[in-house]
Amino acid sequence: MIVLGIETTCDETAAAVVKRLENGRGQILSNIVLSQVNEHAAFGGVVPEIAARAHVEMLDYVIAKAMSEAKCPFNALDGVAAAAGPGLIGGVIVGLTTAKAIALVCAKPLIAVNHLEAHALTARLTDGTPFPYCLFLASGGHTQIVAVLGVGNFVRLGTTLDDAIGEAFDKTAKLLGLGYPGGPQVEREAAGGNPQRFALPRPMAGKPNADFSLSGLKTALRLEAEKIAPISDDDVRDLCASFQAAIVDVVADRLRTGMKLFRGHYGTPTALVAAGGVAANQALRKTLHRIAFEVGTVLVAPPPALCTDNGAMVAWAGAERLVLGLTDPLDTPPLARWPLSATTARPTAPPVPATGQATS
Amino acid sequence: MRVLAIDTALAACAAAVLDTNHATLVASETLAMTRGHAEAVMPLIARVMQRAGMDFAGLDRIAVTTGPGSFTGLRVGISAARGIALAAGKPAIGLSTLAGLAAPHIAEDDSSTVVAAIDARHDHVYLQVFGAGGRTVVAPRIAPLQEAVRAAAAAPARIVGSGAGLIFAQWPKTAPPPLLVEQLAAPDIGWIARLGAAAVADSLDPPKPLYLRAPDAQPQDAARLPRR
Repeated sequence: MIVLGIETTCDETAAAVVKRLENGRGQILSNIVLSQVNEHAAFGGVVPEIAARAHVEMLDYVIAKAMSEAKCPFNALDGVAAAAGPGLIGGVIVGLTTAKAIALVCAKPLIAVNHLEAHALTARLTDGTPFPYCLFLASGGHTQIVAVLGVGNFVRLGTTLDDAIGEAFDKTAKLLGLGYPGGPQVEREAAGGNPQRFALPRPMAGKPNADFSLSGLKTALRLEAEKIAPISDDDVRDLCASFQAAIVDVVADRLRTGMKLFRGHYGTPTALVAAGGVAANQALRKTLHRIAFEVGTVLVAPPPALCTDNGAMVAWAGAERLVLGLTDPLDTPPLARWPLSATTARPTAPPVPATGQATS
Repeated sequence: MRVLAIDTALAACAAAVLDTNHATLVASETLAMTRGHAEAVMPLIARVMQRAGMDFAGLDRIAVTTGPGSFTGLRVGISAARGIALAAGKPAIGLSTLAGLAAPHIAEDDSSTVVAAIDARHDHVYLQVFGAGGRTVVAPRIAPLQEAVRAAAAAPARIVGSGAGLIFAQWPKTAPPPLLVEQLAAPDIGWIARLGAAAVADSLDPPKPLYLRAPDAQPQDAARLPRR
């Protein structure tokens, strides 16, 4: 089974061709990602209208390249998948409409994939991870702990009530004048700093749910920095180190709680799966290893190129759904918000007690 | 020549198939709508192609309106057209909505001026002025309403588009009345197809949105702390 996957929910214009083998394993035939990072750098974050403008002018070139690199003519496809949300609606519209057009012309099924489900199922493409497993998704737009019980069968154990972790890194970098995207910059500065110099809060620590809240940490960092402004290079390093240490502590605490909730309902997970750009942070990754070990499982972290937004994860999620006969009509709406728990209306495992507000 | 035309730029979702060997459109459908184009357009194209009894391989080109219009609408239509063009291996051609609005009037009489105007909100219109022979006198631009009124009243003219009524409401008392005021929410899809058949195809220059307005974003470094 060969599926084309299209990803345009944020600031990467991406397309890939993935083959699902008879034995359920996956093979990436091509994976093209065109990043818009330069278009957004001056703004210190992704500007939705600029992102949408870039997607509509580049997506067909990216798809053509993915098809030619895979040596796959359109009529050899078994399905066309696109991330239909959640994300920046202008980009989602471009990706989903293009996928519908290709599906219509080639008379192939359309698979409207949830972007979060694509992240969630990537470990099955790269490592063949069996269900059920616990997903920690942390990127510029999402911060979630999810019980992955099956295709279209997800229970969200925790989410952020305000900022995403990657967003907190970006805002820290912006405050300190470190450039965009902020994650790698802050990590580099943190390496040479003193993590104990600034006493930053660990929001939500000890709470019985697995939710995150990061806006208070962001504010505390700004207040500490303003106290000593103008700031020196050493100050920047110490601020970054203190910030990253707080993030690591918060993730450890929230993930321990999330794993406890997971084990209480579904037993020991087959893996702790990391996804999203934040998982590339080495300090965080060390913590994820430790937490997986604590609950008697392993950390599965797909390579960075498959952790950040890409078309292969969408193609793979499309293939996993297609093999179950889950396809979508040509009037499928693009969605800015689309919680994972609403991906497929099918009986799910017993619900976990409500945790905080619903976000995408 | 067989053309599939698509328009989702303004207050309609429309598609048509034109075969230049026939006097009338082979098939067409227009739905009035101001939102929901992303959901409606592909099933509508499927119905039009089915009614035309044609598969995509039988087309020679795809024509699409590139604006000005709703930013989201432009991206829906252009994504659809470029997606179809890619999968079918056919060229896609972009046409302005202003030319689409003006075309039937220029075809009827090309000796007097046609002003195409689309409501761009906040007392602005998207404007293009066509002179004798259908030549462009004022290229597509966004203009304050008063400026559009002055341009329209400069010569005896026909005014068409969703901005026609706005312009006429501000008409100078001293100027002779316009020859025609046609309040039209979207171009006729048949004319988009005809303009598409007549246009010169350039496969190296696929249709891009004609926004006429820059994205509303300012570089932000106000949050940055002073450095020592």
